[in-house]
Amino acid sequence: MSDNNKLKIGIYELTGCAGDALLILDCEMELLDIFNAVDIQSFLMAKSDNIDGDLDVALVEGSVSTEREIEELKDIRKRSSIVVAFGLCATVGGIQARFSEEEWTQNLKEVYGDTEMTHTKAVHSKPIDAYINVDFYLPGCPVGKDQFLNFFTRVVQGAPPESYPVPVCVTCKYNENDCLLNKGIPCLGPLTADGCGSVCPNHDVPCYGCWGPAEGANLTSEYHLLQEKGFDIEAIKKRMSNYSGSKFQEFFEQFKNKESK
Amino acid sequence: MKVVGIDHLARVEGNGGIHATIDGKVVSDVKFTINEGPRLIEKLVLGRTPEEDASMSPRICAICTCSHKNAVLRALENAMDITISRKAYLLREIMHMGEFVESHSLHTFYLALPDFLGFPNAIAMASEYGFEVKIALEMKHYGNHIMKVTNGRFIHGENAVVGGFGKWPTQEELLFIKERALQFMPFVFKTVDLFCGIDYPGVPVAETQYMCCEPGDDKYGFWGDEILISTGEKYFRDDYTKVTNEFVVPHSFAKHSLYNGNAYTVGPLARIVNLGERLQGETGKMFQKYYNDSWKTNPFYHNPSRALEIMFAFERIPELVDEFLKLEDEAPRKEYTPKDGKGTGLVEAPRGLLIHHHEVTDGKVSFADIITPTAQNAADIERYGHIAAQALLDQGKGDEDIRRHLDIVVRAYDPCISCSAHMAKIRNAPENDWQLRLAEVKDQGSPVFIGIGNPSLGDDAAGIEMARAMKQQGVENVWLESEIEENDGLGTEDNGQPFILLDAVDLQETPGKVTLLPMQIVLQNSALSHKILPIVSEVLNPRQMQNAYLLGIQAGSLVEGEGISPSVLQAMERVLRQLSN
Ligand code: SF4
Ligand code: SF4
Repeated sequence: MSDNNKLKIGIYELTGCAGDALLILDCEMELLDIFNAVDIQSFLMAKSDNIDGDLDVALVEGSVSTEREIEELKDIRKRSSIVVAFGLCATVGGIQARFSEEEWTQNLKEVYGDTEMTHTKAVHSKPIDAYINVDFYLPGCPVGKDQFLNFFTRVVQGAPPESYPVPVCVTCKYNENDCLLNKGIPCLGPLTADGCGSVCPNHDVPCYGCWGPAEGANLTSEYHLLQEKGFDIEAIKKRMSNYSGSKFQEFFEQFKNKESK
Repeated sequence: MKVVGIDHLARVEGNGGIHATIDGKVVSDVKFTINEGPRLIEKLVLGRTPEEDASMSPRICAICTCSHKNAVLRALENAMDITISRKAYLLREIMHMGEFVESHSLHTFYLALPDFLGFPNAIAMASEYGFEVKIALEMKHYGNHIMKVTNGRFIHGENAVVGGFGKWPTQEELLFIKERALQFMPFVFKTVDLFCGIDYPGVPVAETQYMCCEPGDDKYGFWGDEILISTGEKYFRDDYTKVTNEFVVPHSFAKHSLYNGNAYTVGPLARIVNLGERLQGETGKMFQKYYNDSWKTNPFYHNPSRALEIMFAFERIPELVDEFLKLEDEAPRKEYTPKDGKGTGLVEAPRGLLIHHHEVTDGKVSFADIITPTAQNAADIERYGHIAAQALLDQGKGDEDIRRHLDIVVRAYDPCISCSAHMAKIRNAPENDWQLRLAEVKDQGSPVFIGIGNPSLGDDAAGIEMARAMKQQGVENVWLESEIEENDGLGTEDNGQPFILLDAVDLQETPGKVTLLPMQIVLQNSALSHKILPIVSEVLNPRQMQNAYLLGIQAGSLVEGEGISPSVLQAMERVLRQLSN
């Protein structure tokens, strides 16, 4: 902690859309309080007087996609007591982590040709836990405002953050929406971690899976449910892979295991 | 040089930098770099359904998420011949206004204003400007609120879908949005007065080309089906590649998106310059009151342009809500069956023209091409950065002044929020800089050399003599200035090879110092351009100009009838040795 007894916090952005850092600035009504409650040492998006010293908590947004980011990330880990993977890109690598190493190399070449970038070398996108130990994960593309404020308040008081074990589907049922699956619309609510409050199904739009795979999802019954309702399992998998980043292989291994049973 | 499509790196939210290279009295290079890795989003959407594409593409950028959403939806709907209802059209416009209010108020008050009032950030500014900071936060919050009501969430909402919307907002929600817009008006007037009243730095000043969407019907607005250029030309949406030809060029000379071979600007200033006369109501009056010709040549006027657009949005929102509520109720979305086709969607993001081109084959996305505003502005950001750095250097300003100034020039474009927080660095050119650059130039193909100068004016003979020596060594494609005149141009076939002009220069360096500069930089520097310009403009077309360089040796004595001085002779030998490697 710093001299003023406030927690020292750093907010860092690797490769992503900057949505999670922006989400913090989107807490307009709470923003001045946030800046007063803790000592924000580094937040490139919001301020120019940044210090890279020891930290109590580092929030890291974005996937690791360049060699320079690997170094930055390791340095952040060394300086911080707690590192939080902040948002989907940091948690699973984001949409950009879906490609295999081989596909990625091929696509990179198609987009950029043979031009060598000198300032830093691109690497296959990965979540931050591919390189460092992560203490907490806060998924979401981007993280939800309530979820963030909740997390922030608990961490400032030294409490561990809440976990969100249920899938979007459970919250959707609490919200008394008509289930989209019954209308033949492929909704990923049963497979996706909640945190958004089932916002898409609340709008009659299927969940696209942007919180990433749900930890505790009951894949066996989901598999049978989707199959019974006549959905094309391959199309569902493809859809689910969009926001599962590098974790989708692992996730579908489990899915496949259920399949064979 | 080759054309390889879009540069995703130029999605600049996040980590970027600008570096000026100073070579004695010349700023020899300004580089705007993006430090984030590639995300290849155009590849990620391939093989996905149009609705998955519309969900994923906006993930390029959080702060422009609604612009991306509107652009990708326009592209996909054009591709599949879907016409959305008037109600859906209006709601998309309300959503777009929400993004403008949010993004512009964030940029003007939080990112730009501290620069002009001398604070490190907005929170520090709050001690003296508490009222402005607080109300501007409310304004930003209001913009976010609009996006949440219309699109479901602040960032990456999904309520806007192919064919329309998932659900309509309620009448109460929309009336609240309208009421709040009216309540904000007094502060909106203050905002315009504040940003139009700032005494912006007088450097850099230069003309450019401005590009934006043509909203049609002689209206101001944030989308259209044509691209309008300040020169008066217009291009239909599907012809966008004629306008924004993007190049990935060898790294150290940066990448460019050029129109007619020249850098151009998109963004608030481009819209105000091209469309400002069309503004109506209070915004029209404010435009007439404050706008003048000096806005056209100075990128700092992006800031008052943003303020005018905030006012435009606040005037437009109540009109849109009224029209929406007057229309009969109908289903929020048109059902569709995907069909094959190609479509382009043009919108204005807060930071400028955003182009999405998507193709659908057998119900799946088969091609995507996305051109972001900052990719288009990159070349002009470098050019204006260069002009500013050179002007300050001429005034005898030190590194720190130059660094600070570059920082705010970049920020004027609002390339993204995080990289605009601080990004300028100064680099002194190493002694062997020209050798490194020469190696890069030669990598692009075997160069055409042109020796220029006056053979009887002392050291000014250096260029001609080097060219003669190379001819003697049997090097191909070497020309003397005089041969070009006789020949009426170059007889060399154009196969994309680089051009190198050899000449003695006066950059007030130690005699014999060698410099290799890209032609664009030479032409911006009055000490160099007067001699070079007549020659290059005669023999090189704009495209060749992009790939032309000046290899200059600092002259020592320029006395009629005298020979070349020893230090220059030594330098010539070094250059010839390097060229024959
Ligand atoms: S609509 Fe989606 S999230 Fe809601 S209950 Fe059905 S499957 Fe679950
Ligand atoms: S419902 Fe699904 S796609 Fe929508 S925000 Fe929540 S997790 Fe993301």
